[in-house]
Amino acid sequence: MKRIWGIIFLILIVGLFLKACIMADIPEQYSDNVINADIKEIVYPAKERNVAINGIDYLQSQAPLGKFGGELVVSTIGEGPKTFNPCNTKDATSSSMAGMLYDGLVTTNPRTGEVQPLLAKSFEVNGNDYIIHLRKGIKWTDGKLITAEDVIYTYKEIVFKGLGNPSTMDAMIVDGKLPSLVQIDDYTVKFTTPRPFAPFLRQLSYPIVPKHYFKPYSDNGESVFNAFLSPNTNPKDIVSSGAFKLKEYVAAQRVVFVRNPNYYKINLENKQLPYLDKVVYLIVGDTNNEILKFEAKELDVLSIRGSNVAQYKLNEAKSDYSVYNLGADTGTLFLVINLNNRKDKNGKFYVNPIKQRWFGNRDFRAAIDWAIDRKNMVQNIASGVAEPLFTAESLNSIYLNKYIKGHPSDIEVARKSLQKAGFVLRNGKLYDNKGNRVEFDLYTNAGNLEREALGVMIKQDLEELGMKVNFKPVEFNSLVNKLTNTYDWDMAIMGLTGSPLEPHDGKNVWTSKGSLHMFNQRPANYSVDDRLSWEKDLDEIFKEGALKLLFDERKPLYDKYQTIIYNQKPIIYLYSPIRITAIRKKFKNIYPTPLSGLIYNLDEIYVE
Amino acid sequence: MEFFKYISKRILQVIPLLIIVSIISFFIIRLAPIDPLAELRLNPSISQETLDKEIKRLKLDKPIYIQYISWAKSFLKGDLGYTSAGEKVSTKLKERIPNTLLLTSIVVFMTWIVGIPLGIFAAVKKETVFDRTLTVVSSVGMAIPSFFFAILLLIFAVKTGWFPVGGLTSYNFNEFSLIGKFFDLAKHLVLPTVVLFTISLSGLQRQMRANMLEVWDSDYVKFARAKGLSEFKVIFKHALRNAINPMITLLGFEFAGLLSGAALTEYVFQYPGLGRLILEAVMKSDINLVMASLMMGTIMLILGNLIADILLMLTDPRVRGTK
Repeated sequence: MKRIWGIIFLILIVGLFLKACIMADIPEQYSDNVINADIKEIVYPAKERNVAINGIDYLQSQAPLGKFGGELVVSTIGEGPKTFNPCNTKDATSSSMAGMLYDGLVTTNPRTGEVQPLLAKSFEVNGNDYIIHLRKGIKWTDGKLITAEDVIYTYKEIVFKGLGNPSTMDAMIVDGKLPSLVQIDDYTVKFTTPRPFAPFLRQLSYPIVPKHYFKPYSDNGESVFNAFLSPNTNPKDIVSSGAFKLKEYVAAQRVVFVRNPNYYKINLENKQLPYLDKVVYLIVGDTNNEILKFEAKELDVLSIRGSNVAQYKLNEAKSDYSVYNLGADTGTLFLVINLNNRKDKNGKFYVNPIKQRWFGNRDFRAAIDWAIDRKNMVQNIASGVAEPLFTAESLNSIYLNKYIKGHPSDIEVARKSLQKAGFVLRNGKLYDNKGNRVEFDLYTNAGNLEREALGVMIKQDLEELGMKVNFKPVEFNSLVNKLTNTYDWDMAIMGLTGSPLEPHDGKNVWTSKGSLHMFNQRPANYSVDDRLSWEKDLDEIFKEGALKLLFDERKPLYDKYQTIIYNQKPIIYLYSPIRITAIRKKFKNIYPTPLSGLIYNLDEIYVE
Repeated sequence: MEFFKYISKRILQVIPLLIIVSIISFFIIRLAPIDPLAELRLNPSISQETLDKEIKRLKLDKPIYIQYISWAKSFLKGDLGYTSAGEKVSTKLKERIPNTLLLTSIVVFMTWIVGIPLGIFAAVKKETVFDRTLTVVSSVGMAIPSFFFAILLLIFAVKTGWFPVGGLTSYNFNEFSLIGKFFDLAKHLVLPTVVLFTISLSGLQRQMRANMLEVWDSDYVKFARAKGLSEFKVIFKHALRNAINPMITLLGFEFAGLLSGAALTEYVFQYPGLGRLILEAVMKSDINLVMASLMMGTIMLILGNLIADILLMLTDPRVRGTK
């Protein structure tokens, strides 16, 4: 008897301990009006100006004056950088780290998205000619001047030769030709594109590297160049130009940057920026660890996801951090339908001909679009921290077609649309006009909980229409193989990251010969012209859009492409996550923007 | 002479073993439907030419057996090749091995220093309150999954702020004095060590207790007691020397676990050791890195067993006799 009492007592104690660990009940969801009411519009004072002092062309920040000193600790998820060579980065972490070290000729205005000079003092565009004037007297970290030589070297011997990561070279090729480049004087260069090519100006944001430091390596061929500036390079040897220079890299732990005393940007009192002495990137393995580190105050910035938002929002007032809503992400989640009607080498159809007739029918696709309940998805899958999406361009894109308003889900509209297409509903089961039961497979990549939940919801929504959906999460790699190689799929839930600045980057997805034209993928070297009429329109738009140089001329074209996708619905967009980020209140000069996030202006941020 | 003959025979046996292990693991990894380039393929800004270049570089266009032969050739030359991101495998391993060794050797050292005496004591004091308490504690230690225990401790660290949340060094480590550095390291090592120590201590202590109990009732212990020897002499001269043999075999396995035994705990604590590196390599099918770590694991296991056998030969005349 005594023993039993002992056990009960023990259980009670343990239970009380456990209860003590549970915090106050926190709503799991976050209603969208709270989120949207929350966008803090903080207006950035004014654009940077060029100021010449003692013959040196500085760039003057117009942000309020701050205090020098202090440090900022941020995180990067994953394995950390693979290289600090800005010309050879193939993953996001490496390119942001290398991007800290090397600036390009131009950059994107973090607020408006327009192209503005950076290492260049100014640029002129005359037709196909781009004349770039460099800043005089600005220096690399080792004290040598940054001149036209470095620009010529970077483009002629690295970019145009495709050394390192050749994607910039690929993107610069127009009609099979690269632009030409001549040096006019020590501080002026001229690029000439073979024909008008709109994305070119933005491509000039490619990092400029010091010739005297890089040349010995680039001369020794691809493999030497690829191994150059590996993370284990002695930081003291690295010659760079950015606001911060590398101090230390510790594998799987952190990357530490310190201020570059030679940086060419100054504040309103003409003192050289940056304010911060140190920027530390902690390398963390996953988001859970990131949250723990933020809680333990080891981190200063945290991007908050889904269900955690409510908790942070509730605690904001009595804490030492502010929470900022940065608006919708560039990522898009969508349902893609396979319109492929071709045969493989053995004469077998990639997609069953019965299904081809359904998927090829616009009204069938429209019915799916109307049946999908995006609002429900946002509430239940993204915990309210997302926005329904109807356009091919992401919501923060400067080319977003604002006239596409979307629609609420409406099962009646969907049913009517199916009726119009000749489908009939019998005993809750949907049949086509030849009596075939409507049944197809829906794929997504297994392990991605968000997409798996989306699949379940879409399956439910479509079963309301009487369709039979076989939801099949498969390994990411085999899904990619289906989409890009074997084409034997019906529908899939996928996501892609787009560029909010340059719609031409999506040409691989939208043009009929693109390598990611998933919804109607043609094999490489496919020569038959079997484009659908709207595919022809898309081809035309992307060809023309690249030729036009002015934003106002391009915008109507890219508006039209979004309208076509919205009307034809080969890809049905679902939602875009909203980015919510917290930063400690002691950091000032924070100007969040939907385009660039929270801490894009590291050189202006200071600690109060 | 006999001794060296034995060792060289054992080393020769390793060669076919390594070949078989490498073939099996290489083919299993490559036959798994993981495309190391899947992420590149889905990137809208990557051109076909770039993809082709990557396929060539990773030799994915060749049949598996040719891939294996070229891997084996460079492995024999001592070249571990490059990771799929283009870094040298040997440097990657060199970065991590010291960290893992630091953690695991502290843990092994502590568990043996504490576990063996505790096991002996528990056996000697069999069925007392002390023994029973120890049984309960070690059952808990054995039952609790390491990752769960690690997460509990992490939450503890966050709530109290007494310990850092994972990692091995603070970000301003290099500015500390030597003593400061020592304490910083120690502070970071406490929690992962506690996890690994608790779990391996329980097993070791139980094992030692069981071995000790086995000899405790044997005739020669009774005889030693009957001779009127002190209890201390009975335990350490007669019982322990016979009970320790299985522990030496166990020590061999511990040696093998030095590099790979802490993987899960390392992952939870974001400890910059081999575990995290290799787990991520397996996920990405980074063949050279995975193969290097598998080979390393195999060699460590064989080496551990060899060391245990040699130690056994030294301590136990019976083993020496049969060889």
